[in-house]
Formats: sequence, structure tokens, C-alpha cells
Amino acid sequence: MKPPLLRSPDGLVAGVCGGLAVHLGVRLRVVRVLMVLLALAGGAGVFLYAWLWIFVPMASDRLVAPLRFAPPAPTLRPPPAPALFLPAAAALPSPAAPHPPSAPSEPGNAAPPVAGAFVRPARRAGGRLRPGRKELLLGVGLLLLAGVFIAQELGFAVSLRQVLPVAAAGVGAVLAWSQLDDARREGLRNKAGADRAAGLARLLLGLVLVMVGVLVMVSGAISWDLTWATLLATGAVLAGVALVLAPWALRFWKDFEDERAGRVREAARAEIAAHLHDSVLQTLALIQNRAGSEQDVVRLARAQERELRHWLYADPAGHSGNLTERLRALAGEVEDSYGHPVEVVAVGDAPLTAGQEALAQAAREAIVNAAKHAGGTVSVYLEAGPSGSEAFIRDRGPGFDPLAVPADRLGIRESITTRMQRHGGAATIRSGPDGTEVHLKMPEQENRSHDG
Amino acid sequence: MTDEPVPNNPPSTVSVVVVDDHAIFRSGLRSDLDSRIRVVGEAATVEEAVAVVRARRPDVVLLDVHLPGGRGGGGAEVIAGCGDLGASTRFLALSVSDSAEDVVAVIRAGARGYVTKTISGAGISDAVFRIASGDAVFSPRLAGFVLDAFGTAAVASTGTELDRLSARELEVMRLIARGYSYKEVAKELFISVKTVETHVSAVLRKLQLSSRHELTRWAAERRLL
Repeated sequence: MKPPLLRSPDGLVAGVCGGLAVHLGVRLRVVRVLMVLLALAGGAGVFLYAWLWIFVPMASDRLVAPLRFAPPAPTLRPPPAPALFLPAAAALPSPAAPHPPSAPSEPGNAAPPVAGAFVRPARRAGGRLRPGRKELLLGVGLLLLAGVFIAQELGFAVSLRQVLPVAAAGVGAVLAWSQLDDARREGLRNKAGADRAAGLARLLLGLVLVMVGVLVMVSGAISWDLTWATLLATGAVLAGVALVLAPWALRFWKDFEDERAGRVREAARAEIAAHLHDSVLQTLALIQNRAGSEQDVVRLARAQERELRHWLYADPAGHSGNLTERLRALAGEVEDSYGHPVEVVAVGDAPLTAGQEALAQAAREAIVNAAKHAGGTVSVYLEAGPSGSEAFIRDRGPGFDPLAVPADRLGIRESITTRMQRHGGAATIRSGPDGTEVHLKMPEQENRSHDG
Repeated sequence: MTDEPVPNNPPSTVSVVVVDDHAIFRSGLRSDLDSRIRVVGEAATVEEAVAVVRARRPDVVLLDVHLPGGRGGGGAEVIAGCGDLGASTRFLALSVSDSAEDVVAVIRAGARGYVTKTISGAGISDAVFRIASGDAVFSPRLAGFVLDAFGTAAVASTGTELDRLSARELEVMRLIARGYSYKEVAKELFISVKTVETHVSAVLRKLQLSSRHELTRWAAERRLL
């Protein structure tokens, strides 16, 4: 299947050649050379390029539309579960495809840029390639200048008076047009628009250049007095038109914004619907099937609750690989296999070093014991910080005498006590008629790094 | 939790209004509650809740944190709307939400306690009696939130009295987070249940009145994005 025709965000000018190369499956360089040759053939290439520039959408426009749903509501944070991202992930490869073919032509591309997720291509084009674009503009200008000189040498009467205004108008137009491209991208990327001022300056500069160019051209034919009068009249007419059209334009803009917001909402809704379908509806179907077994129903409901909670409320900063996350996952596993609720309350967090992993494993063993022998709700409390962590696992079973446990039972001795001691921690077990509480303590070693 | 009368418990029957937007949950809760608890009204939205609570003047309002209607403020808005009823009507927040921001918002609005909806019938009845007699009700999760928000080091803070927990309050919070009941906390610390209740009420007051900006910031950070 051919990739869609989209302008590449990595392009030198507007990414037309890159997009064409991807679409046609030809090398980027070939397309560029062809385009230049066409441009030399009476300017056909220039027109083709301009035409494609106007009508072919940016890859980032396509890419951004379905993905920009993150900020509006707290619940819409991109979830950690990989399955949920399937639609988005499926959409990603095609716009991202331009990179491999274009990479060899630009040596700097090898260095992986920022972790800017999906806006990366656009940002890179904005930040890094603009110098290249500047040089290109300069080159084109010099080429034009050379052309003019050559024409003069050959005897064509090209006066600077005629060329300069045209050049000024041309440069102004290009400035304004490139602004349009960037403005669209910018608007989609972040509404705050930090670059707004710069963009506006470019637009104004382009406008002034075009006006001056046209004025100078015109003033060659008519006297200055007449020019001023005309200018005034033109200004008045333009102001009048603007006054009439302003409400319409505003409304158009508002409609556009509304429509875009609607699309964002729609994408978010689709995302939630997909998740609910994958998880909640499946679980509900399972529950209906197992309605006879109370324990199964409870287990399914708990597992689903945990999964949904994780999706809705998980701390976005708390990346996996931390102790809290680990302990919650382990507790969830035990809950699933034994069908007894495990309530985890965690305060603070710590990176998952070997010692903390040992604590998590020992805690798991304690939770398993509690679920197996005591039943009922198991309360787990974890307090973690830079200096170490403590975990309490409490059940409300009949209790047992830790000393009376036969020596051949490895559960407590090996998996909890010895494991903790091996890593420099400690485990104490208190048991009584009100239940059993296992206290695990694991100090964080000084020589370990605390980054995580 | 049987039906035998409790002589040392002043409110022998407690009137309750149940506010939740799910009819199934309301009816389930109704049947779970102790027979000494009289449900005098139900409401499903913020406006309904404010109207019913004002009309019935119950001892305790069981209040869902997330409610439709009003200005979108949910349970906290109901409490604010009934602010002039004073101490005669107390609120117990009931939620499935794990989000610290929700919990802190409703507690700071004036709820006397917070329990999760998975609580047992006996547990919720016990909590209602406790609230009715003026105590605060902390679930292990709420205690965990408090510890997270105020920090687990009692003395390190430099703020005013309201901005930190005393060593004793910290101990009580820790035990509650570990799943201890008030009675067990009392036994563990060799103090009376009444003293435990005093400590918990003090923590609740700090949670409600503390002007410490970290609390808000902490809750906001826990919000997703």
C-alpha cells in the first residue's frame, strides 16, 4: 500500500519533496533534483511546488488531529496500559514513515532528539532546520541576482528599478506564506503559542515588503501625489470591507475552534469507549457468565476495579519501577489468585533497588500467607522515602504462634525473615487473637544512588 | 453490630439522608444500614440534596463525592450549600474515588469523615454512629492521604500549629493507615478510645483549616495532569 501523500515535516522549504519521495517510493534526492530541473525548465517546477505546497496537507496536521486529546479532562491522561493505545499507535507509523528515507541525507538526524512524544517531528523541523531554510533563501536570492547580472551582461535592459520592487514583493509573499504554514502547525501544537509574536512580526514584515514593492512599482507610472491619494482611498475601502467582514470572519474562526474542540472531544470519547469496551464490558460479560459463583464475581469485580483505578487515578509521575507500583502489582496478583481483597495504602515512594525489591517480595509472601490462612481483607500499609521503607501487612485471622511454626515450613522463615535480613532489613511478626501483623523494614543503603 | 441498644451511645437512633446519583447504590446502602439508622430522605443531584437536607435536617448525610448538577462541585458543593445548618447536620463522604484532590476537597468543605464505597454494612453503620456523636471517621486510605500530605516526619515542619501533626497524631494516623480500628489503636498506644477520637478529630480539624499551601499543591499534584 502506498503511503498517503503528505508533506514531510523535515523538509527544507515545505516538505513537498520529502512527501513526494515517500509517496512514490523514490529517493528523496532524486525528487529534489527532478524538482530543480523542472524549476529551471521555464519555472514549471516552481509552480508545481507551490501548487503541492498549498494543497497537500502536512504530515503533522494528520498526526496531530487524533492525538491531541490529552489536556482537557483529568481522566483523559494517556493511560499506561499498552493495549489502549492501539488506535493511536496504528496511526503513528504512517506519518512517522518519512524519517527513515530522509534520514541518510541529513547526518544530524542520527542523534535522537528530545523525548517530545508525538510532536517531535514538527518541533525538530521548527528548531533545527530553519537555519538550512535561511541558507536556501539566501541561495535563491543570490541565484536571482546572478541571473539579473547575466541578463544585463547579455544585453537585456533590466533596470534595478524594476527588479527590486518585484523581488521585495516576492520575498514578502514567501514570508507571509511560510508564516501560514507555521501558524497552522503552531496553532495545532500549542494554543498558548509562544512563537506568536515572532510569527506576527514575520507576517507584518512580509506585508510591508509586498506593499512597498507594489507601491514602488506603481509609483514608477503615476506621480507621488496621486499615489498618496490612492493609498488613502484604498485604505479607507479596505477598512470598510474589514469592518463589514470582521463579524463574519470572527464567526468563521469560532466555528473552526468549536469544530476542532468537538473533534478533540470525539477522539477522547473514542479513546474512553475503546478502553471501556476492552476492560469493563468484558468483565461485565464474564460476571454474567459466572453469576453462580460469588467468589468469582468478587474476584472479577476487584480485578476490574483495580485496573480501572490504575487507568483513572494512577500518579502520572509515578513511573513503573518504583516500590509503590511494584507492591500494588504484587498485591493485585495475590488478590486475583486468592480472591481476598487486599487494601494497599501507600505513603511516599522509593526507587526499586535490590533491597526494596526484596521488601516487596517479602511483603508479597506475607500477603499470600494472610490471604491463605486468615482470609478476609488484608491491609497493607507502605511508607517509603529516601531513607528506606517500611511495610505492614495485617490480617484479621485467628492468628498463630510464629515460634510454633515447624522448622520445615519455609514460607515465613525463608521468604520473609531471611530474605529481609539478607538485604540488611528486618522482619517482625506479631500474632494474636485479633489477627497477625507482619512488619517489614528495609533501610536504603547509603552507597546506593537515589535517582530513579 | 447487633440490634441491642447501646446505652452509652447518646443518639439511639440516627436520621440519615443518602445522597448518591446511583439508585442501585442508594437502595443497597439503605438495606445495609443498621436498624437504628433511619433513612429520612434520598437525593441524586446537588440541588435535590441541598433541598432534602434543608427540609429533613438529618443527623448525618451520607454524601457521594461525585454528584451531577449544581455548578459541578459535587459533594463539596452540597456541604457548602448547607453550611448554615451548623453542627446539627454532619456529613460523611462516601466515594469510589481514589483521587486525593476529591477527598481533600470534600473534607476541607466540612465533611467529618471519608470512607470508600466498598465498606461493609456494619462498617458504614459504625461510621454513621461515630459521625453522629461528633467524631471523625478516617478510613485507612484517608489516613494515608493525610500522612502523604502532611509528611511522615512530625518535627521537621516549620509552619504553624495547624500545619503539622503532633507525634501522637502521627502515630494514630499510621495505625489507622495500617488497618487498625479505633479500639485497636487505643490498645496499641495504651490510651482510651476517647483519646484516639480526640486525636483523629484534631487531625481532621488541621486537614480542614490548615492554610498550608503544600496541602493544596500536594492534592493538585496528585490530580492527573
